[in-house]
Amino acid sequence: MKEKIRQHFNLIFTDAPKTRKAIELKEEMMQSAMDKFDDMVADGYSAEDAYENVIHSIGDVTELFPTVEEKNLLVLSEKDRKKKALLTSIATGIYIFAAAVFFFFGADGNEAEWQFGFGLAILLCIVPTVMLVYAANMYPDYNRKEEPDMVELYKAAKYSSNKAHAVRKSINSIIWSVTLVLYFIISFVSYRWQVTWIIFLIAFCLQAIVKLVFELRADEMTFIDNVKK
Amino acid sequence: MSITSDILRGHTEAIILSSLLEQDSYGYQINKDIMKKTNNTYELKEATLYSAFRRLEQAGRIRTYWGDETVGARRRYYAITDEGRKAYQGYKQEWKEAKEIIDQLLK
Repeated sequence: MKEKIRQHFNLIFTDAPKTRKAIELKEEMMQSAMDKFDDMVADGYSAEDAYENVIHSIGDVTELFPTVEEKNLLVLSEKDRKKKALLTSIATGIYIFAAAVFFFFGADGNEAEWQFGFGLAILLCIVPTVMLVYAANMYPDYNRKEEPDMVELYKAAKYSSNKAHAVRKSINSIIWSVTLVLYFIISFVSYRWQVTWIIFLIAFCLQAIVKLVFELRADEMTFIDNVKK
Repeated sequence: MSITSDILRGHTEAIILSSLLEQDSYGYQINKDIMKKTNNTYELKEATLYSAFRRLEQAGRIRTYWGDETVGARRRYYAITDEGRKAYQGYKQEWKEAKEIIDQLLK
């Protein structure tokens, strides 16, 4: 019967955050339930009755870990999702258009036209890049309640790190797709395949820089939190 | 939801503080005390009790420490702080006032 109580606790804490505090809390409540079970059995209740009573008196554990959106932190509403999809597809379209423009001007090997086409293509790439960054930032900031408790703070922290992760991921995908497009464009136009692969090294550096920037920012945030305490 | 349980629930924190004024205690013990004092008519749900603990701890009204049981599981004990005593006096005063007003209105 005690094993049944344990299983019940595992079940109702499935959605709880996996923090040390939350796990300790579960252990503590479980111990309390076991104590009560023992006392009731010692008082002459049947194990079944004691079990029913103990389970019933646990109450609603979502009180401890409030709000339902915990599981769905990074799910956008249907409207926002469509908007994001639209932004992404338009951005992709403009990238392809930029590539086409570049080929159009650069195809006949004229140096001046090649440079003009290259400049125009780069300028054209600004718009979709901005769009993609905007789309990545569409997730709203986590709304804290007025008096944040431990769970709220935990979720806010988790949420912001999830968000930072999402932004970083989209920046990375932008870097790599732009790199690939540039690699083929430059290589086909210049026919200098022996040199152009260097662009991948540059992209790799860029990615490392992005990672560094995000990590520095995360450090700064924890630092500020520590100072506040 | 009946008025009684609503009111009781609204005073969970005060009830816990009152229990801790007597002695340091752990979750189940506090709930047992409450049952004893109310002749087995009232018992806090565990979730209610423990979320109140978190709030009180957050507000610095109680502190916790691990007991040094030599047999059985280690328990987390709760103790009232000076802050908690002050808060308790505040609760008590507020309740006294509310009680007087309701008594006057529901003659």
